[in-house]
Amino acid sequence: MALDAGELHTREHAGFLAEVHSFEFWFQSVEGYLHGRPHGISPDTPTLELAPARREALVATLSTYCVGEVAALEGASGMIGFAPNRQCKIFLATQAVDEARHLEVLLHRLAELGVEDAEARFETRSNRHLLAFRDTLLRHVAAKDWLASVFAQNVILESMEFAAFQSHMRTADPRTAEMLGGILKDERRHMGFGENDLGRYLARQPEARQRLREIKQALDPLVLATFEESMTQLALPASERPELGRLYLESVARLGIGS
Amino acid sequence: MNEPVRTSADFDPAEGAGEPGNTASAPRRRFVLADDTGFDEVPAKYRRFYRRWQGPADELEPNEVLCPVCKVVIRSARELRPGDRVYCMPCMSRLEVVRGASGRLEAIVRY
Repeated sequence: MALDAGELHTREHAGFLAEVHSFEFWFQSVEGYLHGRPHGISPDTPTLELAPARREALVATLSTYCVGEVAALEGASGMIGFAPNRQCKIFLATQAVDEARHLEVLLHRLAELGVEDAEARFETRSNRHLLAFRDTLLRHVAAKDWLASVFAQNVILESMEFAAFQSHMRTADPRTAEMLGGILKDERRHMGFGENDLGRYLARQPEARQRLREIKQALDPLVLATFEESMTQLALPASERPELGRLYLESVARLGIGS
Repeated sequence: MNEPVRTSADFDPAEGAGEPGNTASAPRRRFVLADDTGFDEVPAKYRRFYRRWQGPADELEPNEVLCPVCKVVIRSARELRPGDRVYCMPCMSRLEVVRGASGRLEAIVRY
């Protein structure tokens, strides 16, 4: 049961976890930033005419994001079936809804940009390293491997998306920036769920770190290549590039599975 | 938005918490948290406990600490001290306040 807000920082951990994993918490949270924004964008946000080269780069980037969102949609919904407890199942159900919304708003933005075959062709326009990452993630989910699935999806993929969207927002046109801002707010929950769930798991079973290190080593080349290609596509200044991987590196360091 | 206020009416069950031997001297300052910091990622009743971080130049108040997981500023109704526990609702983390190498308050995750 939700406690009075005045007691927020002094409450019991179990009560806090029960509340933040709940559907009710999710519903009241997203209401704050989605209400009045159909497809994640306020009706009065201006539309900029993009130069052809910039539009083409944006279409390719948004197509790559679609692949990430479909991967997370299939991943999160698949993980509900073998999540270790009710709280995780409910949280993953809310995450699946978030991912479905992200896919929908991205496809809508692509349609706004004049892409008629967005749904049919986003994979062919996407970053190939991310496609390989998706295949690996979904193999872990199909194997009902909780540890590997949470790590690949909620730590690696989510922190990668969080960093990419945050950087992209700084240079994006107003409609794209607002849409990404809304997605980013969801990613904060998804990323935090992953790190905290794994952190509690590793506190009980520290020997699992070795296995996570092996998974990390297998996935790192794909993660780095995805970052590299995205940075080039977004024409990020060299000074910002180290920032892009930092969230992921900090997260794995806190979990004790850094290199 | 974030003004200190002293009042004996605010009972705080965690008043005694904090770094051993550091509670001593001064009583903790109390802060009135403005209802709307513009932070909209948690249910309305909790929004005053959080605000957006403005980057490295953002100077935190004595009742604020940065979440290392999701980079949101967490706010408390009282001055924070090493050893305090705070919650980051946006990323669902429990954190402990520590004194960082720079001398400033930081937070580390307590899973």
